[in-house]
Amino acid sequence: MNRYFRELSVASALLLLLGVLAIWAPHFYQPQPLLSRFTAQSPTLILTIGMTLVMLVRQIDISVGSQFGICAVVAGLLAGKGLPMPLVFLATLTTGTLMGALNGTLVATLGLPSIVVSLATMVTWAEVLRLTQQGRLINLPEGTQWFGLSQVNGQLLILAGAIAFLTFSAWFLKNRAAGRFVYAVGSDAEAARLAGINPKTTTFMVFAVMGALSGLAALINLVQSPQVDPKCGVGLELRAIAAAVVGGVAVSGGRGRLWGTFLGLLLLSTINPALTFLHVEAYWEKAIQGLVILLAVVADGFRSRNQNA
Amino acid sequence: MRSPSKSSIQGLLLRHEVLLLGLLFVEILFFLNNARNFGTPENLSNILRHSAEIGLLALAMMPVVLTGGIDLSVGSTLGLCAVLLGVMTHSWHWATFPAALATIGFGGVAGGINALLITTLRLPPLIVTLGTYSLFRGLAEAITQGSKTYREFEPSFLGLAEQQFAGIPIQGWVLVAGALFFGLLVHSTTFGRSFRAIGYSPEGTRYAGIPVLWRTALPYLLTGFTAGIAALLFTARLRQARADAGSGYELAAITAVVLGGTSIFGGSGTVYGTLTGVAAIALLSNGISRIPAVLQAGIGGELASLLTGALLLIALATPKLLKILQDRKRDQTA
Repeated sequence: MNRYFRELSVASALLLLLGVLAIWAPHFYQPQPLLSRFTAQSPTLILTIGMTLVMLVRQIDISVGSQFGICAVVAGLLAGKGLPMPLVFLATLTTGTLMGALNGTLVATLGLPSIVVSLATMVTWAEVLRLTQQGRLINLPEGTQWFGLSQVNGQLLILAGAIAFLTFSAWFLKNRAAGRFVYAVGSDAEAARLAGINPKTTTFMVFAVMGALSGLAALINLVQSPQVDPKCGVGLELRAIAAAVVGGVAVSGGRGRLWGTFLGLLLLSTINPALTFLHVEAYWEKAIQGLVILLAVVADGFRSRNQNA
Repeated sequence: MRSPSKSSIQGLLLRHEVLLLGLLFVEILFFLNNARNFGTPENLSNILRHSAEIGLLALAMMPVVLTGGIDLSVGSTLGLCAVLLGVMTHSWHWATFPAALATIGFGGVAGGINALLITTLRLPPLIVTLGTYSLFRGLAEAITQGSKTYREFEPSFLGLAEQQFAGIPIQGWVLVAGALFFGLLVHSTTFGRSFRAIGYSPEGTRYAGIPVLWRTALPYLLTGFTAGIAALLFTARLRQARADAGSGYELAAITAVVLGGTSIFGGSGTVYGTLTGVAAIALLSNGISRIPAVLQAGIGGELASLLTGALLLIALATPKLLKILQDRKRDQTA
């Protein structure tokens, strides 16, 4: 019970919210809008998986929103040029990985603080986007949307893919040596080093994976609409961090589970539609999101204080 | 301990502040030759007017970073304060002066919330201020319904932004006052010097008998008050208050602090370094937008931010890279 306390409390908050919606706004559960809503969150889910890894090794990456934007624009431009989709996918994932590797090099090899490094890369990539695109939307060729399938099939495919990827990542993190390295380095880098794990390599790899996941998320986002908005990544880093924090991932590293992050994301992304359905004005979304983050950390604070006492 | 005497000149040149002064010098030379009307007195006043808010926030952020913390919520606090000023003067019909005082007070309350959560519950500053970053901006958006803009401020209040005293804009004087306050606080009081000690080693500071919790709280409180003052300057300068006031300012302030040589892990840094960092960023964004080619393309803002980001990376990476190279050379000769 105690071990899964955070997951259980987030799950009950989510259930409560869903129950309220079921009673007062049953049209929330119409299948098609619900499916669209879930599919629209799948890019954020992919980013959140990466952010959980980054936070588990006791780092932070606030450049993921900008990375996501760059990847989306690169994919859009290449697809617009008529490049075959597999090549577009490959190029986008490579772009993301390179950006992640840059963060990784600066943090792991040079030993610079990740908050400042990713702050600098966040600003740099965001401005590169603004300079090159000037806010222009990129039109995608026909047949890109939903992989050329019907909308429902495309959405089901994306959703199934995202959930499968989450399941795989959670299994990998729990059962494979490389996954345990992430926890070990985040808990105590020096102890991990003495145990024969290379903390620098682990940290570098996590940032590179985060970059690759930004690329993957951008691709999943790309196939959902006929256009690419260069501003599509703005604020995503905060959503990802918020989901991880609410889901019980500790900023002090080494503690947290992907399923908790998943629940955190579900809770956060149900709040906004719930507001609309319950006729609360949507302007409150950001304030409530902030409040949920604060509640989550305050709960952590009280718990650790009681445990120490 | 490595003795500094042997390579003291090299060591001095590698000092962050010296590198930064060099950069400032290069910037000034470059813009004097390439940017239109860069060196005129009007433009200098202009630079001061535009950099006062971020300058103040950076000065207040510096002690926070010095204690090993961070405050991501300053931009949102500024926005919330600006909106509250609008509410008090427009909806409640308060006179400007009490409303302005209350605005600064609200800033203090916002800073107090951060301080309370961070110190009493010992929560990580990064996440607490991330939460209040979202909360304060969200409150500002909820109050204004996302779109309302307050414009009918008293002319005498708006006029403050244009006024000069002894040939220097009011904003310049506020910035000087802020620099003196934070400079004296951090460098010349035992109180302020404990910030550095806390950032260096909180446990050690506690054993030295210093009330660590209360002294960690103070910088956040001051940041809140400062954001309130910056909100007044911001509103007067732009002649309006909106929910998006000061968004992104937290990043600019942190950039200036780190560029100015304060360690993001806490424990070392100077207020004059932060001021130099503010100047480097302010001159860059002003100068860039005055280069004829950039002016024509209308990309001054983007280019300035891009260069600031790149500058921050280079400023961080260069000393580390040089140190790695030096160590490697020493290992080879040894």
